Amino acid sequence: MTRYILRRLISVIPTIIGVTFVIFMFQRLIPGDPAVAMLGEHAAEENVERIREQLGLNRPPFLDREALAQGDFNSFFDTQYIRYLGRLTRLDLGNSIHRRIPVAETLAIRFPATVELALVSMILAILVGVPVGIASAARRNSLLDSSSMIGSLIGVSMPIFWLGLMLIMVFAVFLKWLPAGGRISANIQLEYQTNFIMIDTLLAGDIPAFIDGVQHLILPSIALATIPMAIIARMTRSSMLDVLQEDYIRTAHAKGVMERFVLFKHALKNAFLPVITIIGLQAGILLSGAVLTETIFSWPGIGKWVYDAIIGRDYPIVQGGTLLIAMLFVIINLLIDISYAFLDPRIHYD
Amino acid sequence: MTEITPTDLGVIDDFAVREHRSLWKDAWRRLLSNRTARLGLAIVIIFVLSAVLAHYFWEYNPKTDLDYSLKLKPPNLIPNEEVPSIHPFGTDKLGRDIFRRVVHGGWNSLRVGLVAVGISLIIGGLLGLLAGFYESMIITPLERIMLISLIGLLLGALSAWIAEQPIQAVLFALLGAAAAYFQDFLTGKSLRIIFFAGLGLLIGGGLGLLANLATAIVCGSLGLMIGAILALPLGGKFFSDTVMRIMDVLLSFPGYLLAIAIVAFLGPGLEKGMIAIGIVGIPVYARLVRSAVLSVTQKEYILAAQSVGEGHSRILFRGVFPNILSPVIVQSTMGLAGAILSAAALGFLGLGAIPPEPEWGAMLGDSYRFLASGAWWAVLFPGLAIMLCVLGFNLLGDGLRDALDPKLRI
Repeated sequence: MTRYILRRLISVIPTIIGVTFVIFMFQRLIPGDPAVAMLGEHAAEENVERIREQLGLNRPPFLDREALAQGDFNSFFDTQYIRYLGRLTRLDLGNSIHRRIPVAETLAIRFPATVELALVSMILAILVGVPVGIASAARRNSLLDSSSMIGSLIGVSMPIFWLGLMLIMVFAVFLKWLPAGGRISANIQLEYQTNFIMIDTLLAGDIPAFIDGVQHLILPSIALATIPMAIIARMTRSSMLDVLQEDYIRTAHAKGVMERFVLFKHALKNAFLPVITIIGLQAGILLSGAVLTETIFSWPGIGKWVYDAIIGRDYPIVQGGTLLIAMLFVIINLLIDISYAFLDPRIHYD
Repeated sequence: MTEITPTDLGVIDDFAVREHRSLWKDAWRRLLSNRTARLGLAIVIIFVLSAVLAHYFWEYNPKTDLDYSLKLKPPNLIPNEEVPSIHPFGTDKLGRDIFRRVVHGGWNSLRVGLVAVGISLIIGGLLGLLAGFYESMIITPLERIMLISLIGLLLGALSAWIAEQPIQAVLFALLGAAAAYFQDFLTGKSLRIIFFAGLGLLIGGGLGLLANLATAIVCGSLGLMIGAILALPLGGKFFSDTVMRIMDVLLSFPGYLLAIAIVAFLGPGLEKGMIAIGIVGIPVYARLVRSAVLSVTQKEYILAAQSVGEGHSRILFRGVFPNILSPVIVQSTMGLAGAILSAAALGFLGLGAIPPEPEWGAMLGDSYRFLASGAWWAVLFPGLAIMLCVLGFNLLGDGLRDALDPKLRI
């Protein structure tokens, strides 16, 4: 098992290098002179020069063959991409063009907001999706089954930004039950320690603020959880149906084991492996969905920040945010793969 | 004595002679017998028809469509004094009829979906087909020569570029061909690697010396590595692994994040969105097709085709290709739904169609700021169009999966 884990860890390295390569290539997609594109055509020459210097744009992109022709080794490797990799190893994601602050710092501040929303959405999706899937499988072809499956198909087809807007319209604009956006009401004073509102409010012992935070979380997490919830429900159902046809389930029934026991003890354990894979993939949907959801709900996380950066053409932020999300996704999938080694003793990985 | 034909007997028609049905006809009948699939098909047909008819027969010029006096009017079906025209879905912030823009927006959404799925399907499908096929088939000597000289050419191109000597790429390709041709030459593995690595060093370093010493050192060490790689007994598995590693990189960007990022850097536009969404879809099809091919090539009929000496291209196109179509069709239908959804997301973020071009996502992005002032219709209808269209394709795809599942074929 150790060998499997080790091999899986090593296999991630080329993927990560590939990801940095793709993200580096982004800035070469910018039409025209990137420095001018970032600052606008009427930018001062010194600012353009500053950006060129920051991004190393006056160096060749990958390898400097002109320097080599002069017999200069060091300059041969001193190129944009190598410099970019070097900065990444120091966790330096460059500076925001407009605000001139380090991207990595702001990402770190904004990251908890995104994680909080994603985690709550994931918990919501699992808490609803898994039981619905089990119930649908147990009562196959019943009214419950067909209605939940149609419901989940609608959920999969839902443009989450539209769902979010509809939720705002109904619950915030018309009914005025819940706030339309933000993480916490403006009049609440709070000392930020972890930047997780739920934790910070509890640490401060401020129950009204905690309730206010929860109220702000409800609509965005419903919007974000919809697609994963639908997918998890479908996957749980089909996985359970597969397992329920196995011989050992029939044996269990024949022995007179209680239905509840067969379902939860015998079937669910084996049906859960594919579900876990799917849950891991949903993490990706949650992270990429964050851009849309956070934009709609003015949620001050990475997604909203990336959106603002796209509008403001602040490319280092877009690069940094994309890199962070992609890395997170790679790590989550790695963890899921490794968890198989522990969860499924039947499989030998060699 | 006159000949008796089956029709003379009447009964035979219903009984003994079962009408010959092809696999596809069978699938089509099963599809139509499925209620949800019928619903999906109907939705898809309505959207396709309305978009195509509107595009060709209902003239609309978004550039001149503007009427401030009708700004943000709620839906009205009966003309009155305030709003003299019929607007079933209301009007938007520029007084444009939302119904008209939703119908015309369908053309753009379907176009994006089709082109994007086309791009992912052609590139991803081809890569997956080759990867899966050569992973499970034993590679022929000729194919090995082609593969290894191609590797030589590609890696040699780097060395050639550095030294500005195009001849290097050709020489490395030849070295690859030679290494593959003399498969049995120097069977000791390390000896073989040392030999070809030495040849690579000679090519890279020797030609590099013509430029200067520094170039010679860089190209020489590159040549050393290339030669060593070419000496390895690389086969289909290597090709498949390489392709799939690249796909893994693309898959590391969750959801439509990669498409958003690509378009964010390229600049907005419907065509750029199509390409970006298409690129994002490539690994999905590559993986799907590869795994389908892997399972098909285990079948007895492929073994039979091999044993009677059929060539690889014939096995690939006559034996494998038709048998992987079902999952590809299902995935393409669902992929259309996904592409339309991604396109709408791009449009919503202001990265899709350039205004005033009608596009569902962009319409939502334009109007959602007026939600607080109560203009629900400007948000409800474009979003409903997206959801219904995507739902239609998903229902159809679901139905197709059931209909094409050969396990159910009786």
